[in-house]
Amino acid sequence: MSHATKAAEFNKDEAKVNWHDKALWYVREKRDKSAHNVQGWEYLRQLGSNIKANVLSNLDEYLVQFEANAKNNGVHVHWASNAEEHNNIINDILSKHNAKKVVKSKSMLTEECHLNPFLESKGIEVVDTDLGERIVQLAQEPPSHIVLPAIHKTKEDVDELFQEHLGTKPSQGNPEYLVGEARKHLRDKFLNADVAITGVNFAVADTGGVVVCTNEGNADMGVHLAKAHIACMGIEKIIPQEKHLGVFLRLLARSATGQPITTYSSHFNKPEDGKEMHIVIVDNGRTEQLSREDFRASLHCIRCGACMNTCPIYRRSGGHSYDYTIPGPIGSILSPGKDLKKHSSLPFASTLCGSCSNVCPVKINIHEQLYKWRQVIVKEQKQPVVKKSILKTAGVVLSKPGLYRAAGKTARFMLKNAPRFMIYNKLNAWGKARDLPEVKGQNFDDWYKKRQKNG
Amino acid sequence: MIGIKNDKKMGREAILKSVKQNKPELLQLPDINEASFEEDINLLETFKNNLKVVGGFVKEIDKKSIDTEIKVLHSNKTNIVSTTKKSALGTITIDKNTEPHTLENIDLAILEAELGVSENGAVWVTASNSIVRVLPFITNDLVIILKKENICLHMLKAYDQIAERHRDFGVFVSGPSKTADIEQCLVVGAHGAMSLAVLLI
Ligand code: SF4
Repeated sequence: MSHATKAAEFNKDEAKVNWHDKALWYVREKRDKSAHNVQGWEYLRQLGSNIKANVLSNLDEYLVQFEANAKNNGVHVHWASNAEEHNNIINDILSKHNAKKVVKSKSMLTEECHLNPFLESKGIEVVDTDLGERIVQLAQEPPSHIVLPAIHKTKEDVDELFQEHLGTKPSQGNPEYLVGEARKHLRDKFLNADVAITGVNFAVADTGGVVVCTNEGNADMGVHLAKAHIACMGIEKIIPQEKHLGVFLRLLARSATGQPITTYSSHFNKPEDGKEMHIVIVDNGRTEQLSREDFRASLHCIRCGACMNTCPIYRRSGGHSYDYTIPGPIGSILSPGKDLKKHSSLPFASTLCGSCSNVCPVKINIHEQLYKWRQVIVKEQKQPVVKKSILKTAGVVLSKPGLYRAAGKTARFMLKNAPRFMIYNKLNAWGKARDLPEVKGQNFDDWYKKRQKNG
Repeated sequence: MIGIKNDKKMGREAILKSVKQNKPELLQLPDINEASFEEDINLLETFKNNLKVVGGFVKEIDKKSIDTEIKVLHSNKTNIVSTTKKSALGTITIDKNTEPHTLENIDLAILEAELGVSENGAVWVTASNSIVRVLPFITNDLVIILKKENICLHMLKAYDQIAERHRDFGVFVSGPSKTADIEQCLVVGAHGAMSLAVLLI
């Protein structure tokens, strides 16, 4: 199903869409305020970007260095070329510990590898312990946002889910009551877990340590109680030196939620006495993305979610409409590299307004990559697929009157700057429905070239 | 287990080979010009403000009145662990071999932190400060004692200061645990400590 079709589904509940849109915009505004408080913010972003560029250009060396240092600290290091290997490695570690109960903190990588259903099929209980992730897990849905996994759920939805699964009392969605009940429920899971699985925010080559950031403390509750800790990371999580955490931790939470730092930034270097620590390093398509010159910078991503919060299409279409583990603008440049055909509508789920690139803490040229994927898709895919996708998303999502108030600027911008064939395409739902005004000014290609030059 | 080892090796070599083939030409690692981040601000006041913003309680107190202050903040706690000589309020003693699960019902933990960061109100807590790593997370309430002179400007300076440590486990803690996962309503007290008070001496 294309993004546009799924977005139309999400748009059936207009009140919810309006709330979703506003809530995320509010997070974006918090990000702005927080960023403006930092002396040298733009320089900090540039550093983040340059450090990541260096990482990619020397990644094999850093990985080897990281592995050696981690091993020196008594950490077991595993390598997985793909999702299947990743899942098998984890299953083997769990078997060794005879583990039946696993608690997991947020990890988009384990989502990407579909670890939960795999382990469940082996009779292992896997509990997601981040509250948002637990909510979507109970609802049997994937997260719809990488930082705010349950942003598409209302408090009433959560109330009902908790009544059904945790036996709570009806509370009309009282957040404090619901969080309190979740705390009790998950505390029990932490206390009874055999093994804890976490993601990795940063893996430091020169120390062999990994850093995990949470607000809830769920990663630490899991790791410090369980017999063994398994940390799963994509190869691109490497940073060269520990002092570079000083750059990335300053950028991450501010970009994500506007907090100056997450509540907990936990540095795991050695297992506690009598316990085990494992790190699984995963490729799963990343080295292929590394080979694509135009798209490799997508591997800079530190998963802050800022590009989602700012994107007018994401805000009005919801994360599930992307049908990919990582939704939003960054997901739309990562997913075609995984499966061009399946995700060919995603690079079109954008107005190319550039807001994503402007907020990205590691300065990924997201909107330029979206445009480049469109060119690849136009060349490689059969025309009907392309025609159906082009601007249909924008058509569906931006056709609601409410949006003109919320994101009018973007819509007008698109009118002015999108290539003519996109707007006046016969199959474009949006162009058909509206009488398009004449737009004066630079055309898209001029604008695009100029923008590229100005970096 | 032999099978696993083989897979491991294959994955490793395949990944490294593929990286080598696909990586771009070497790009320089940038130097960090810390002068760009210099600010003439009051470290102590900024730290206090930021800690309040993230939901923490903070107070400058006299070294001699630590226990009096804690008793005012937490009047009726029974299961208290203090891992610092600076407080004598502990009712339960722990050591390195204490089973972490037995700390399930700790009401209050009192720890000393080595470093504070003014830009975000975070304090640096190590495994040796906690004795048992889970302590600052599993306790219901957390009190941290910090020397005022150990507050630095920002995270880059913080990493300079902890560069020489023994690396096992350490955590920057900024405020009490919290979540906004239900309709973006901020609720303090998720899985970690329900409250954090930093006492500055
Ligand atoms: S692409 Fe940039 S803005 Fe988007 S999630 Fe990644 S780091 Fe954040």
